[in-house]
Amino acid sequence: MKWIDFKAGVQDFWNEFKRVKFGLFGLILLFIFILTVFINPYIVPFPEASIRWRDITYWEDNPVSAPPAWVNWFSSTKRAPSLIMEEHVFSEEKMGKIKLSRAVFKYEYSYDLPPLDVIFHGYAIGSPVIMLSIERPDGHIIELVRRPISKSDGKEVRVSIGKDSRIESYNFGAKFENLEGNRIEREMVKPTSVLFSEAKEGILVYPSPLKGTYKLIAEIILPSENDVVEDIYFTFSGGVSGWLGTDSSKRDIWSGVVAGVKWALLIGLLTAFTAVSIGVTYGVMSAYLGGWKDSLMQRIFELFLGVPLLPVLIVMSAIFKPNIWIMILMMSCFFWVGPVKTVRSMGLQIKEETYIEAAQAFGASSSRIIFKHMVPLLIPYAFASMALYVPSAIVYESSISLLGLGDSTIVTWGQILHDALTGGAVLNGLWWWVIPPGLFIALMGMTFAFIGFAMDNILHPKLRTR
Amino acid sequence: MYWKYCIRRIIYGFAIFVILIFIFSALFNATMENTLRSRIEEEIHTETMRLDTRMTPEELTRYIAERREFKQRLYHLDKPTWSRIFWRAFNVLSLDFGKATIMRSSSGEADVWIIIAECIPRTILLFTTAIFINIILGLWLGLKKAQRAGSLIDKTTSIGTMIVYGMPSWWLGMLVIMFFAYTVKIFPSGGLHSVPPPTGFAYYIDLYYHMTLPVLTLVAIGFWGSAFLIRNIVLGILQEDYIMAARTRGIPERKVLYGHAMRTAAPPIVTMALLSLLASVGGNIIFEGIFSWPGLGNLYWIAIEQNDIPVLMGNLFITTALYMGGLVILDLIYGFLDPRIKVGGKQ
Repeated sequence: MKWIDFKAGVQDFWNEFKRVKFGLFGLILLFIFILTVFINPYIVPFPEASIRWRDITYWEDNPVSAPPAWVNWFSSTKRAPSLIMEEHVFSEEKMGKIKLSRAVFKYEYSYDLPPLDVIFHGYAIGSPVIMLSIERPDGHIIELVRRPISKSDGKEVRVSIGKDSRIESYNFGAKFENLEGNRIEREMVKPTSVLFSEAKEGILVYPSPLKGTYKLIAEIILPSENDVVEDIYFTFSGGVSGWLGTDSSKRDIWSGVVAGVKWALLIGLLTAFTAVSIGVTYGVMSAYLGGWKDSLMQRIFELFLGVPLLPVLIVMSAIFKPNIWIMILMMSCFFWVGPVKTVRSMGLQIKEETYIEAAQAFGASSSRIIFKHMVPLLIPYAFASMALYVPSAIVYESSISLLGLGDSTIVTWGQILHDALTGGAVLNGLWWWVIPPGLFIALMGMTFAFIGFAMDNILHPKLRTR
Repeated sequence: MYWKYCIRRIIYGFAIFVILIFIFSALFNATMENTLRSRIEEEIHTETMRLDTRMTPEELTRYIAERREFKQRLYHLDKPTWSRIFWRAFNVLSLDFGKATIMRSSSGEADVWIIIAECIPRTILLFTTAIFINIILGLWLGLKKAQRAGSLIDKTTSIGTMIVYGMPSWWLGMLVIMFFAYTVKIFPSGGLHSVPPPTGFAYYIDLYYHMTLPVLTLVAIGFWGSAFLIRNIVLGILQEDYIMAARTRGIPERKVLYGHAMRTAAPPIVTMALLSLLASVGGNIIFEGIFSWPGLGNLYWIAIEQNDIPVLMGNLFITTALYMGGLVILDLIYGFLDPRIKVGGKQ
């Protein structure tokens, strides 16, 4: 088959394909999925999710099991969402050798439930002192934390107001509270709920939100010339978080789900491509060679046909603990049987064509006839079945991951669902943890089903209408 | 001639099964021997604990070595690798899977075969029920689609088929449990029956009540596919010349469909039903784990969780046997329905 023939063939196929609407829809979906792989860092708040999924320090600022941010639209009590705040007003003052810098962050608070924690971040060199305070809309200024840094050559500083300012916020609240008679345990009071509530009686027990503009002030004393505190920002871990909420290990589910797209595409496409290539070649060879070779190849084929796929994959994964590449190889080893039967019967028909006879008369070798004259005719069929194998490969990988046997260095949708199952998401109704990963599996399957069925439609025009 | 074909097919199926068992034994030989060795050590340990304490340390070491050698000979661990693989496969074929390390059957026995045997009927019950309902719904919808191929109902339901094509049934199961067992609370979240199980007639009611949710989930995902396949089978037949001939003779459309087309469509549809049953075993079995339905699929979950290798391997062998058995039965039924196969065609 020459290049120009090939081009004409593809052009014909495309012209036919264009007419199948759901096929085009599938192509668009596939394009969107591929696009998300490339723009991944720009659409997720945690771009390193793919490699640091099991690194707890990466997720430490997030709330535990928080629902998605858009839940606020449907609920009467608005919860403060998770937020990263970098924008601030910076000023510096020099007093001899000592430098005093001051960063003011403005926080617009208009919710009913305060954030769970507010965390200061910075990168410190030398021995600076960091002081955090908050200026409330009602004019109260509360000093929260004073954190001296002992000599460092440069390290990440993380100050959690929720943990480190329990006493200060309790004392602030206690000023307005009538403490006679009812003792309130200091440990029971949440700092953020005091700081973001109206200063009146009940602030410690039944706080009512004080809405308005808050100023978070970070004052930094730099005792010597070389001391630096840079890259400062606040993170708010909210009652609601991100597009799809967080799981019980504080991981952002949207980031995880998007990171899974790339792995699902890889697993699906690579497995389907390898398996169908092997299957088509095998079927054609079996048909063309004939005789005892055909019988032998058919017996081997039947051997593979008798293997219950998922149980074998489960046991192999449980015992050999494969990584993702071995897993793809294992799946390809069993998936190839799918197209063999159809390809062989098609090959038997092609074999009788006169041009094959002509090629034989010219003295063409078997491999030349198989790969040059027979396999190209089966390419449309091969692509159609490839598209239809992609979803099954993804589902098989997810099923194995669901059992907790997946490759732990990556993140796939099946693994997220495994965590959801073991983390009691079904029991506790954490729907934002269960629905998205499975929905993405289904969506990806649907995409390839649309494409595959559309190609199938073109290959079997008789089945379109009566 | 049919019984000859049957015998040939059964022997052939069994031969493939034996080869598969040998391959599995070779593949997992190392792991299985490790568990066997640690079990031997454990057994010897319990034996020495029971011994009287008058033995000198030398006698004790000699005794342990003796026992170890005896046990290793018993389990053929002193033989070369290939013969150990042979013995392992032989044990499997005689249904001797050894003892489970941790798991116990409901009557408290550690024998792997007993643990697995009590799960088999439950798996079969669940999946055959689901497939049965599947096929009935699929026939109803598929015939409708074939009759009006290209119409709106045909197109929309075909889109439905594609939408659920890559949807994992266990995921839908999770959603269904979340909604019907925890939010609305009209169905149990899983299990075979209530605790304690009711007796008599109420037992079966209770069983079906527990089965409703998993079966509904399987049907909700499965019947789209069967409807689509049945549509294609029937549509292919409706385009045959003899159907055209029947129509020209003035035979009513209903009779053409059920009398003529369905007669030809029966063998492939039966095949399809059995194939989807087999596909459930081969690709859907862990679905049981979501509903804690104590069948073979759930056994995989537990065996992996507790790292019980003998049960895991035994389960694999039994699943393979069921699967192979299904393939053989499929061929037998197909041969019965389609006379051409019995004769063997041209050679």
